Amino acid sequence: MARHRLYVTLAGLLCAATLVLSACGTDSSSGGGGSGKGTTVQIWEGYTAAEAKAFAHLIAEYEQQNPGQKVSSLYVNNDDTLQKVLTAVRGGSPPDIAYLYGSWAPNVAQIPQVVNLSTVVKKPGVTWNDFWVGERDVATVNGKVIGIPALVDNLAVVYNKTLFAKAGLAPPSPDWTWAQFQADAKKLTKASSKQFGTAYVTPGTEDTVWHWEALLWEAGGQILTASNKKAAFDSQAGLASLNSLRTMAVTDHSMYLDPTDQAYTNLFNSGKVGMLVTGPWDLSSFTSVKYGVQIMPSYPGTGGGHQTISGPDNWVVFNNGSAKVSAAEKFILWLTAPAQVKYFALQTGELPTRQSVANASGFSQQVDTALPGASAFVQNLANVKQARPQIPQYPKISQVLGNMVVSVLLGKSQPQAALSSAAQQVNQILAGS
Amino acid sequence: MTATLLSRDQQHRERARTRRRRMVSSEHFAGWAFVTPGVAIILLFGAVPIVWSAVMSFQRSNLLSSSTPFVGVANYQRMVHDPIVAQAIRHTLIYTALFVPGTMIVGLFLAVAMNRKIRLLWLYRTAAYATMAISTISEAIVFIWLFDPSYGIVNYALSLIGVPAQQFLNSPSEALYVIVLMTIWGWTGFAVVIYLAALQGVPQMLLEAASIDGAGPWRTFRRVTLPLLSPASLFLAVWLTINALQLFDEVYLSTQGGPLNGTTVLVYYLYTQAFQNFNFGYASAIAYFLFLIIIVVTVIQFRVGRRFTHYRS
Repeated sequence: MARHRLYVTLAGLLCAATLVLSACGTDSSSGGGGSGKGTTVQIWEGYTAAEAKAFAHLIAEYEQQNPGQKVSSLYVNNDDTLQKVLTAVRGGSPPDIAYLYGSWAPNVAQIPQVVNLSTVVKKPGVTWNDFWVGERDVATVNGKVIGIPALVDNLAVVYNKTLFAKAGLAPPSPDWTWAQFQADAKKLTKASSKQFGTAYVTPGTEDTVWHWEALLWEAGGQILTASNKKAAFDSQAGLASLNSLRTMAVTDHSMYLDPTDQAYTNLFNSGKVGMLVTGPWDLSSFTSVKYGVQIMPSYPGTGGGHQTISGPDNWVVFNNGSAKVSAAEKFILWLTAPAQVKYFALQTGELPTRQSVANASGFSQQVDTALPGASAFVQNLANVKQARPQIPQYPKISQVLGNMVVSVLLGKSQPQAALSSAAQQVNQILAGS
Repeated sequence: MTATLLSRDQQHRERARTRRRRMVSSEHFAGWAFVTPGVAIILLFGAVPIVWSAVMSFQRSNLLSSSTPFVGVANYQRMVHDPIVAQAIRHTLIYTALFVPGTMIVGLFLAVAMNRKIRLLWLYRTAAYATMAISTISEAIVFIWLFDPSYGIVNYALSLIGVPAQQFLNSPSEALYVIVLMTIWGWTGFAVVIYLAALQGVPQMLLEAASIDGAGPWRTFRRVTLPLLSPASLFLAVWLTINALQLFDEVYLSTQGGPLNGTTVLVYYLYTQAFQNFNFGYASAIAYFLFLIIIVVTVIQFRVGRRFTHYRS
């Protein structure tokens, strides 16, 4: 029962730093990187299972095509990568490339050792605009490109076909609305067999928040003003989105509230939940039910249309001397080129980070064989129209929004009161620093 | 004996010589040689982070940029005005006040029940200790499902006796108590082992003497057994309190501080400050504040505990 977890973490951080120090020490002495011959690029990634296999295959292919270039990959749990990178940076020896969550981008941009890739992505053959706009937005902080998109996903509605048929409901159509979603959820709810229409996660973390942000955008709202100076969600759109959630959670009791972020997938896979707003990463765990995937419903008459939210992640390059940087850039551009993106997507069912791959004929069928339903998420990438505010204060704002959404879901506050109070707190955070 | 015959000056010289001899004696050197790697590791991974975080608590540091200006006691002042710190302190204290006696009472009860010759004793003892061996994450998942508002067996049991369904982890006012139960279960094995060992040390002689004097079982337990267990109780109280004040794992794995900060305890809050908000300076200050609380509580426990503790000579 390791309650001393924090001390363990601290110890681990130092340990990692020392290890990296010694590892890199041998690296530079044996590498003699100046000539570009025999350069080893160190990359930190968090791939497991099928992804790890596909990634190892790609590295082997790269080393074969580029004699003398070595890529040494180190598995790091994605959740911990930033902590470890920070320690390594402090120790003076960061990895050459690291997989970092997009939500960290504004904070990552403050690390002096992060390489600005703005000119690199303009090189011929890179076709930066081939990456989805949501990805490019997250990789760019104050006009500076801090990473190359490594992963993209989005939210759509995964529904249980059997439960829909049993309730006599038509499967959701691409032009459906939140009113229909609510009505379907109500009909799919059966108190006797403890069956719920839909589910929502309520720990109040970013997972709680980003589901709501998609609703806010669809209702035509914005999180912050265009200059990121003030809260903008205390609006008609904000009210509409919270009212939808309140109706299902509090009035209809058609929404299962998952306080832990862990139960909802099991419940859906046991046929206890009719519809989930979730991402492609959950599909592989739905082995016991027949499911379909549809884009998120809309709020008619608001101009928001059908949208979704995306959580792209980045490959970030760190400065370990010009030879290392150019070797790292070369590898990362190769890794994110269309051929490799396509290979990785088909091996793992991950969404392609490039539009040209997604739009190529036959790709949809191919990706659906890798992971049934994945093609709907690929098409849904076109509905990613905005990104979360790219500011360092976002984690704090997210905590306020998390409490706002949860207080409405648990029936502790009325939507308007929750919006006003959250907007006031967010304005304070934005004014504070 | 000879020392008494020597002059003070000679004594001094004699002592200095033995000291020198001891330093170079091979046995002494070997001892230090064996200990040094361990000490070095403890200093590096224990002392260095402790000192480093102390320094950080007086800085504004996000670990990202290289500028870490000294801000004096600003981080500590900020704590006073932070409403979530007040909440976190309250939750930490409520949790500790329930968890420590709860674990000790359940542990003592089970230890006494198992301290006799009954069939399948090995099975019960293994079962009790298994709670210690099971990983916290499995423990958390099991309790999440036991206390699930819709599907959990606890609400089902309550419905049988006519109690309406509770929200448990979905309720800001109930979630902390579920975590208390979860951790009492997890730590019971530890308390059982300590108490069982202590019970084995209670001399049969005293128990027999008490019964010859006409004391019933309850009286014997209260007047003879319990006082003899007091050193074990003091140890458990101090140990469990130190751990309770640093509660983190169960919160992280189940509610992540929610709902609505209902289970935000000090260590969880400093974790969010450090690793989500990148306020490493502020987080270090909270850590040092917690350190202070732990020292004060432990000193009080030892002072008060000494009065009730009987050590057999």
